[in-house]
Amino acid sequence: MSASLERGIHAFKEQIDAPVAAFFSSCVRCGLCAEACLFFTETGDPVYTPIHKLEPLRRVWQQEYTFWGRTAKALGLSRPVTDAELNKWEPLVYDSCTLCGRCSMVCPVGNDITYMIRKMREGMAVAGHAPEGLVSATRRAVTTGSPMGVKYPALQAQIRNVEQETGLSIPVDVTGADYLLLLSSMEIMNFPEFIGAIAKIFRKAGVSWTLSSQSFEATNSGIQIGVSDIAAELVQRIVDAAAKLQVKSIISPECGHAYTAIRWEGPNLVGKPFDFKVVHILELLDELRAQGRIKLGSKETQKLTYHDPCQIARRGGVVKQPRNLLDMVAENFVEMPEAGTMNWCCGAGGGVGTNERAAELRLKVFRRKQSQLNAVKPDALVSACSNCRIHLEEGLEEYGMEIPVLSLTETIAAHLE
Amino acid sequence: MPKDQSIGEALRARGISRRGFLKFCAATASLMALPPSMVPIIAQALERARRPSVIWLSFQECTGCTESLTRSHSPTVEGLIFDTISLDYHHTLQAASGAAAEAARAAAMQENWGNYILVVDGSIPVGDPGYSTIAGISNMDMLLETAAGAAAIVSVGSCAAFGGIPHANPNPTGALSVAAFIREYGNRTPNTFAADAAAQAAHTDISSKPIINVSGCPPIPVVITGVLAHFLTFGKIPDLDSLGRPLAFYGQSIHDRCYRRPFYDKGLFANTFDDEGAKKGWCLYKLGCKGPTTYNACATTKWNDGTSFPIQSGHPCLGCSEPDFWDGGGFYKAISTPTGDISRTAVYAIGAGAAAGVALGALNRAKRTRLQQTHSKVGIDDLDKGG
Repeated sequence: MSASLERGIHAFKEQIDAPVAAFFSSCVRCGLCAEACLFFTETGDPVYTPIHKLEPLRRVWQQEYTFWGRTAKALGLSRPVTDAELNKWEPLVYDSCTLCGRCSMVCPVGNDITYMIRKMREGMAVAGHAPEGLVSATRRAVTTGSPMGVKYPALQAQIRNVEQETGLSIPVDVTGADYLLLLSSMEIMNFPEFIGAIAKIFRKAGVSWTLSSQSFEATNSGIQIGVSDIAAELVQRIVDAAAKLQVKSIISPECGHAYTAIRWEGPNLVGKPFDFKVVHILELLDELRAQGRIKLGSKETQKLTYHDPCQIARRGGVVKQPRNLLDMVAENFVEMPEAGTMNWCCGAGGGVGTNERAAELRLKVFRRKQSQLNAVKPDALVSACSNCRIHLEEGLEEYGMEIPVLSLTETIAAHLE
Repeated sequence: MPKDQSIGEALRARGISRRGFLKFCAATASLMALPPSMVPIIAQALERARRPSVIWLSFQECTGCTESLTRSHSPTVEGLIFDTISLDYHHTLQAASGAAAEAARAAAMQENWGNYILVVDGSIPVGDPGYSTIAGISNMDMLLETAAGAAAIVSVGSCAAFGGIPHANPNPTGALSVAAFIREYGNRTPNTFAADAAAQAAHTDISSKPIINVSGCPPIPVVITGVLAHFLTFGKIPDLDSLGRPLAFYGQSIHDRCYRRPFYDKGLFANTFDDEGAKKGWCLYKLGCKGPTTYNACATTKWNDGTSFPIQSGHPCLGCSEPDFWDGGGFYKAISTPTGDISRTAVYAIGAGAAAGVALGALNRAKRTRLQQTHSKVGIDDLDKGG
């Protein structure tokens, strides 16, 4: 079956649940969400007002689920949502929203606008209005297991390199290990040092862990494009691997949306509670730190600041752990203005990074990150999301800023005793 | 006193000078907002008018209206006008009683059939006609048969005009005003007929009889006499407002003519009966004054020979000349205070709203469940538009 407007509207109607109805009826049209969105603040274009990005979904809610809306529809007084309209809204829903959740934080009536954008994408995708870049990434994720087309042999090659570099053996398919480590394709292809860093830290701390040859991919394109059926299929692969290896916990790596996918949406997508725990790598590292299992030989002397990945900090609640870890590893740690739960998005989350059409826009809105960085002028920028890291590097280059971007895990590993 | 005397003759016989008579005519003209040129016409008409026969029926009333007319300290022209009219039947004032009294009414009706003025005070119990029965005749029947031969009906007092206190919630007697009674029962033939067979034969539908409401609890005396004078002078009833009251007296609200109005405009109010505002004579709005919604001449003609009126003596207007003034929610509650049981109304409204919400919610839920059941699984090939 191919995508169509009917399927899109059907999905909209299906997605409108009690929270969405409550949010739409609570909206007082104050426009505060605009000021919270970097796509508005950096462009000044009111079309990027977060709640406006939901207008077609709001109309469907009004026409299908409200008394007056139903009455007006029955009398033929309402304007139905058209394909042309969805086409017009496609860039608003996919290119100019990173699902960063900042608008949800400022809404005075407590509307979770991000939650609604996520749901709106369900209809946009089956109406054939998802961006090409995201559709092909999703296709690769479904067919090859990775949005970047990374197959197990590629991981194997990287593992061999890491083993050679570090002299450590990387456990794969170890049944009964405590932790199953997931990786994002970006880590495998762009930052394989991450695997080595984990191996070093876990060896010192005595953590029993493994990778799975069957399911190593942490990212979930289904979440980004907004197709729960596909997202569920991708989560199921991880659930199956965890069951096969009988692990107690799964580690979500330095990736933002992967954490949202497996930690928050996962059990809902597969329809039952997990038999294992899900932790973010920063949560686990902080736990090891608290237990005194991470011992450092030196400290980072550069002036460091930390970029909170939206899905990990704002949407995930992992805010204190990276600070604890940075306090341990850094001599000179400074916070950017609005750091923590109100941090500004890098501009490439929520599938925007995978969407070539949005390249110009995401670099334009990077100005917000630039001004945040200019306020503290760090020697290096630490983060905990490969997707953020790629875009931060891109943005810093674009704006001629020579600030290296580091992974927090790798920084800790570099200073182990 | 001979019955065929004219009013002028009668007044002179009682020692009222020509000058006093003209003063009355001038006052009446100005009260009724008639031009000064009308004064001699009024005088001439009244001078010549044959003393009209008036039949005064008292139903469910307190006699306050009669008291209002007769309780003047010195005899007034208004009072004398009443002395000089031929008041042929009036429970309180007539000497006769029982069969003799009813015979007097029958005689007056017979003699002046089609010409007498019927004054009614008190409301008519229709819920149970046994109430207020007079000489074995129910109020309903008495009004039906007496109204049949009247030239006009004057409903004196708020009970006759609007139902008044007997009509107040819960209205145990089923009291109706004269106008409401005639509207509903005017085409009935009375059960008992005191007048003779000829009168009975002449009985017609009284639905179209002119009715003048002179409301008030009690009404101002000069308003009653003014209305009678107008009728005698012009042979027709005066201009009436939407409630059937003569515009000349009920055309303006108490509030608009109140001497305390400037305080209202400045926002200076008495909040209690003994505070600074009350002592300084500020507006009584907050103490429940119904002046803004009450139409009467109190603020201009005043009471007790023009001595004062309620607001002048420091008490808010009760709104007694308005329909259902007794059920207005409280004499001492400001007009802006809701009269009904607002909290109960709110509870019902919330209940109804919640029920409607639950119903719509159930409908929406069923709809969404249906949609989820018809969900077709989305695979990667469903994301491209075909063709």
